[in-house]
Amino acid sequence: MTVLRLHEVRRTYSTRRSFFGGTEQVSAVDGVSLCLERGRTVALVGESGCGKSTTGRLALGIELPDGGEVTFDGMPMPRPGTKAWRALRRRMQLVFQDPLGALDRRLTIGVQIKEPLAIHKIGKPAEHEPRMHKLLAAVGMRPDQADSYPHELSGGQRQRAILARALATEPDVLVCDEPVSALDVSIQAQVVNLLSDLQKEFGLAMLFISHDLKLVGCLAHEVAVMYLGLIVEQGEPAAIYSRPAHPYTKALLAAVPDPGRRGPRPLLAGEPPNPAARPTGCAFHPRCPIAVSKCSRVTPALLPGADGRLVACHLAHVDNPLQERVS
Amino acid sequence: MNASRGDRAASAVRDLPGTTPLLELRNLTVSFERLPVVAGLNLKIGRGEAVGIVGESGSGKSVTWLAVLGLLSGAPLVQGEVLLEGRDIIRASERRLSEVRGGRVALIFQDPISSLNPVQRVGSQVIEALRLHRGLAGAAARAEARRLFELVGIPDAGRRLDRYPHELSGGQNQRVMIAMALAGEPELLVADEPTTALDVTIQAQILALVERLRREMNMSLVLISHDLSVVAEVCDRIVVMYAGRIMETGSTRSLFSSPSHPYTRGLLGAAPVLYGKPQRLAPIRGHVPEPWNMPPGCAFEPRCTYARPACSTAPPPLRNLAPDHQSACIRAEELPVFNGT
Repeated sequence: MTVLRLHEVRRTYSTRRSFFGGTEQVSAVDGVSLCLERGRTVALVGESGCGKSTTGRLALGIELPDGGEVTFDGMPMPRPGTKAWRALRRRMQLVFQDPLGALDRRLTIGVQIKEPLAIHKIGKPAEHEPRMHKLLAAVGMRPDQADSYPHELSGGQRQRAILARALATEPDVLVCDEPVSALDVSIQAQVVNLLSDLQKEFGLAMLFISHDLKLVGCLAHEVAVMYLGLIVEQGEPAAIYSRPAHPYTKALLAAVPDPGRRGPRPLLAGEPPNPAARPTGCAFHPRCPIAVSKCSRVTPALLPGADGRLVACHLAHVDNPLQERVS
Repeated sequence: MNASRGDRAASAVRDLPGTTPLLELRNLTVSFERLPVVAGLNLKIGRGEAVGIVGESGSGKSVTWLAVLGLLSGAPLVQGEVLLEGRDIIRASERRLSEVRGGRVALIFQDPISSLNPVQRVGSQVIEALRLHRGLAGAAARAEARRLFELVGIPDAGRRLDRYPHELSGGQNQRVMIAMALAGEPELLVADEPTTALDVTIQAQILALVERLRREMNMSLVLISHDLSVVAEVCDRIVVMYAGRIMETGSTRSLFSSPSHPYTRGLLGAAPVLYGKPQRLAPIRGHVPEPWNMPPGCAFEPRCTYARPACSTAPPPLRNLAPDHQSACIRAEELPVFNGT
């Protein structure tokens, strides 16, 4: 069941080119469509500046799209700051990378978990305390940790506390922006497993924004690879990882350090692109090992491929399979 | 914690008979306010060898190398020996130490932008290193700086010399840092999480660059990382640290095929893999002990699923399992066959 839908959303920022120069339009998100369903996780991956975090903010209605539409339960997303938006906000929560920055240092964990209950007037005030303890238990924290201040907890414990706070309002949608990037690998695994458990228990629809393809592969039901504000490939992680159709996906996967791989591997040349200097046609063509002249003129559409995945590449949709052309 | 135990412990070595290792740490202990954060470390780095140091936060992996080069702030107590080709540098004069630093041993860090001077052109920062360590000046220094920029793959090197750090990307700044590290023609490059702040595509470029330079210049490399798969990309040998001690060390191949310490196994099990079925990760229960809360025995014992009462008596020393493989687990031989992650 679809909870949140992004349809062709766009977001452009104005930046000043130089001290005297005029403004310049930088397109951060350039027509992205996504469907978040109950109990399922969609992951957004890509290099820095690809627009994945902006897409997350558009999904939550924290930012308004310049074009396209975001709908929640089939209804258009209300404008940020309005009463209707605030009412919807309790059903959508955001979890960030930096747990210390997201918590108030002067308040105990318990107080911070109870805060959204008061803000959204959920239940009677007398019920807030037992409910807070239930939430703590749900994320695997001890009851006595309600009285701890953020600095008294480890990074993993803080991220648990943030999850407890995000779950306080019984959200339908959870947007996680690099939620475990700052954690050690042994703790990261604890939090990732917790996220899957909570999703099963509460039927959460999750948007998981990450640069870590390995992590995404083990928890997402669907992955969307973004490049310069556009989705270039989208589908089931296992299918995409084993047979990437877009040359960018292929390059991204080849860059992931993997002890199982031996011998040399193709390196993607160049830097992550600058959204302010977007190439014409397919934005990836200057770094693409197989680009043809059409790629610099015509932007490829995101079209369904053989196994149902979506691919935006002129060459992935011709008769001879891309696999052979790339290798 | 009893540092002298390390004396008897087998040293983490790749022994080459008749050769002095380039760098040798003997029973290195680093303490802050009497709490050891590195406890009796023994380690040899061979000439041209690439060694990966892996551990989570609080393992002492960075502190060790800052102590080696006398770069720790605060009031640390550094005990033991650091031998550079057999000569101790721990008690060396500041003048001799500054010749070693950036000269024979160079360091690069995770965050290039905070290691570079923001108000000085990147070229002149490399030229300064060339003047200090190789006595080059004027046109010769500039030409050498340009050659180093080209060597580390900075496009349009001549013009990039005159740029400021903020005008370059994170990946380019890390290349500048590497160029500066190479300015002193080091015999050992210590790279502390050099790719952690970079995109995965740029990380792959930087790792490939470090690997190429090491081979071309026959340089030794110490690559410090929290990520086992990153060090496995470029290192011959891996040292797994936990709570200030070496838990296991071995060739990259043997460490991955037969990890012989429960902590190494835990790290491998907790890390997601790229290929294979989506599966539940296997976290390590609990968390890293604080220096003031160290267990009396094996530091990993409270989190270990294989722990026995004998594990809590004293920190177990490193033992030889094979010529290129050592573990500090008293049950190393009893661990079940490792069937991958």
